[in-house]
Amino acid sequence: MQHLLYKSLTAALALTGCASLIVSGELNILFMLPGLAIFLGYYRYLTGKPPISRWLVAGLAVVEIFVLGFDALVVSRDFLIALAHMTIVFQALKSFDFHEPWDPLQVYFMSLLQLIIASEIGLSMVVGSVFIVFIFVFIAVLVVSHFMKEGTIDHVDFRRPMLLISITAFVFTLVFFVSIPRLKSGIWGRQAGSGIRTVGFSGAVDFSSFGDVLGDDTIVMRVEIKDSRPVPLYWRGSTLDRFDGVTWTDTFRPRERIGSNYGFFTFKAYDFNLDELIEQYVILEPLDTEVVFGLGEIAVLKSQSRILYRNKAGTIILPQKSRRRYSYTVYSSLEPHELDKDEFNRDRVRYLHLPRGMERVRGLAREVSGDQALPPMERARLLEGFLLNEFDYSLQTTRPPRGVSAMEHFLFNTRTGFCQYFASSMALMLRSIGIPSRIVIGYSGGEVNMMGNYVIVRQNNAHSWVEAMIEGRWRRFDPTPLAAPSVSTGFQQALDSIRMQWYRYVIGFSGSDQRAMVRTFTMPVIRMPEFRGVQLRFRPVYVLAVLAALSVALYLIFVRGIEHRGRSYESRAYLRFRSRVMRMGGRVTDSSAPHEVLDEAVANGVDPEQAGEFIRLYERARFGGRGLDSGQRQDCERLLVRIFHEGRGER
Amino acid sequence: MSMALTGSEGPGSGLKALHERVSSVIRGKDDAIRLAVATLLARGHLLIEDVPGVGKTTLAYTLARAIDCSFQRIQFTSDLLPADIIGVNVFNSETREFEFRRGPLFANIVLADEINRTTPKTQSALLEAMNERRVSVERTTFVLEEPFMVIATQNPMEYRGTFPLPESQLDRFALHLRLGYPSEEDEKLALSEFKDFSEIESMGPVITGQDVLRMQKEVDAIRMDESVLDYIMSIVTGTREHDAVRLGASTRGGQFLLKVARALAYYSGRDFAVPDDVKEAAPHVLGHRMMLRKQTSITDAHRVIKDILEKVPVPV
Repeated sequence: MQHLLYKSLTAALALTGCASLIVSGELNILFMLPGLAIFLGYYRYLTGKPPISRWLVAGLAVVEIFVLGFDALVVSRDFLIALAHMTIVFQALKSFDFHEPWDPLQVYFMSLLQLIIASEIGLSMVVGSVFIVFIFVFIAVLVVSHFMKEGTIDHVDFRRPMLLISITAFVFTLVFFVSIPRLKSGIWGRQAGSGIRTVGFSGAVDFSSFGDVLGDDTIVMRVEIKDSRPVPLYWRGSTLDRFDGVTWTDTFRPRERIGSNYGFFTFKAYDFNLDELIEQYVILEPLDTEVVFGLGEIAVLKSQSRILYRNKAGTIILPQKSRRRYSYTVYSSLEPHELDKDEFNRDRVRYLHLPRGMERVRGLAREVSGDQALPPMERARLLEGFLLNEFDYSLQTTRPPRGVSAMEHFLFNTRTGFCQYFASSMALMLRSIGIPSRIVIGYSGGEVNMMGNYVIVRQNNAHSWVEAMIEGRWRRFDPTPLAAPSVSTGFQQALDSIRMQWYRYVIGFSGSDQRAMVRTFTMPVIRMPEFRGVQLRFRPVYVLAVLAALSVALYLIFVRGIEHRGRSYESRAYLRFRSRVMRMGGRVTDSSAPHEVLDEAVANGVDPEQAGEFIRLYERARFGGRGLDSGQRQDCERLLVRIFHEGRGER
Repeated sequence: MSMALTGSEGPGSGLKALHERVSSVIRGKDDAIRLAVATLLARGHLLIEDVPGVGKTTLAYTLARAIDCSFQRIQFTSDLLPADIIGVNVFNSETREFEFRRGPLFANIVLADEINRTTPKTQSALLEAMNERRVSVERTTFVLEEPFMVIATQNPMEYRGTFPLPESQLDRFALHLRLGYPSEEDEKLALSEFKDFSEIESMGPVITGQDVLRMQKEVDAIRMDESVLDYIMSIVTGTREHDAVRLGASTRGGQFLLKVARALAYYSGRDFAVPDDVKEAAPHVLGHRMMLRKQTSITDAHRVIKDILEKVPVPV
């Protein structure tokens, strides 16, 4: 009969494998439904019910392979996802099909496969924790199966070796993790998926684009700003220059291709004051756009990509949409740079273009912006102030009546709208009074996470504002009145902070992180962030010392354990016998032959019959070249228990 | 060293009978008897050394007579000549030819009593026969009949009127045994039930020479685990490296240690040898082969071997 513990662990491993896939959140629930049968399967297996017919299992497996093809080609259109669906169904099928003693091995293999797929399709923190669970369950099941094979499962306390092996495996995994930076992308070369739907930064933007996303609190990016100066949070994405009455579009093509210089991209069309550059570490969720975001004007960008594109308006674009989280560091300048006048004059006409039928707007602009003799900056400020003060912010907009453009409807009828209305109006009004302008799409604000000291930017932070060319520089104007910001609870912040750290230091762990880590160890003192008013400091040397002491301790524990390993069962059993005799006070050394040990044991009050029987079994197996079958091993264990526990207890 | 003879894995019936016969005559010397019989099974020759009157000759005689085979006893004296033990060519006047008259060496078991009382010349004649198991007389070679075992007894060297055996000749004995005085109890028993040689003779054999040959073959088939072989090697090497030793054990010493250990395993009813067998045999097999820097008696050598055995780890 197979051991119940072994069966349970096998079931646990199968479920862990499936769980790792499910928590990745990438699977189609419809394809996972047949997998529910796994619970019935393992219930039957654990309660000792007979397996179902092999023919039925084989038939269902064949069907599932056709489903795999259908899934991969038609439904998921992703082989890896389809494979993940299939492994879940196969696990369920296998749970009904335990005929041979080695059948559980197939379950282990499949679970491992599931875990590998899970780590490929999703790198959420939950997958990480399932991975750790997997390590422990996997080792438990191996250790138990080993002791079962030896026939000693009922006698040996396997918890200690199991825990030790698990911890070692875990430590080695960590070492492995620290020493190998993450892969840049999946080895499976997965196709880019849809990503989070945004307002369409690189394409055309009309008024409805924003209305769709502003109620959505999906996180778009997390940014760690490595600067203590207060900065206005305007995450610039792309700029749009042409308005046709409904839609804003970007007319700057082609894009310039920029190669990486040791991971750095320098957009050095102009000189930046390096001290004024602000460093930001950005973790971008998978979006449906290739645009890169940063505060102000990006001067330098550091990422794992090999190439980037940049259009003439300064929008930086990835070669392709990122299917997974994408992280990069930008160094950007908040102060706009001065443009080359000749170059700008060539594009000037684009930034002054107005669609037809803008007479009313022009009239309003002239009226609001005051005297034409005023400097452009002041006129722009007047326009901005007009929109900020006289208009209301609302996501509820009404359709304009027939023959009236949305813009005019907003400016002259409703006087309510959201950012896109405000920005478009201001840009057009600026153009109508001869100031070149464009609108910028990006995000503004964000929630500062106090736990992790970073900013969370959500879909509803999507924003558009205006840049006007004044005195040779693009100046930012934001005519939109503030909407109430969303605030999350401390718990949500804490949770998100963990998520951020997970991504930053687990998934996004890179070669430069490794170097940084080595550097921290060579630094004399590390200051921890203030904790309840106490400044914590420690020397890395101490950490190293503690780690070294820990490893030595682990090593010693292991060497003691390993000393007996590599020997056959009978030798290990004999060594246990010998060390017991030694502990009882028997004068036993390495040079004591078995019968001398026996004599010492008997002299110390061990039952001669049983001890003699044990030594005979040992010698037969060890020197007689016969080995011990599992029944004899159980005899040995029983004898050892009787020799050292029962017998002495009575005395 | 106590080696239980009881239990299901005791020696075969023939061997058991042999042991019981000898131990019924020599009281309280079970270990010595085991070693003596093991030497026979290992096709070795036995040298028993001790003071006169502790039963050396009785042990040899009883062992020889318990086996149904030819037996000769040679009392070695200082005037004994090689021809006296090997035999001589005599002229047959009828056939007008020389014919060989076999000496007492032509027997299955030869008791060479007080071997160190004779001259080295005679000693070497005997020892040559022991080693080669054949005798050459004037171009004719006579193969000695198997089983062939020489049991020699000798008084300790320091006694008067002796010619001590040189190392090279001592080396030919598989085993060197000391009997020692029996315990008081056993000695009392020995006194009360004293048996003389005619009485021993009349007890009759318990096994045949064929039995001995068969057992010798079975001993050869005893399994010797690689690790036990390594153990033997470590002990033999240990005798060569020990500080107190001038000349360590020979390769032949190692061979005999292996053979005797096998025989002891057979004696215990096992078909495989264990480290205990080696440990039990080692002092008796190796002791007389070593030359110490400062030696007064064989017990010094035993002490050195004990020292080595305490250092060499037993295979586990």
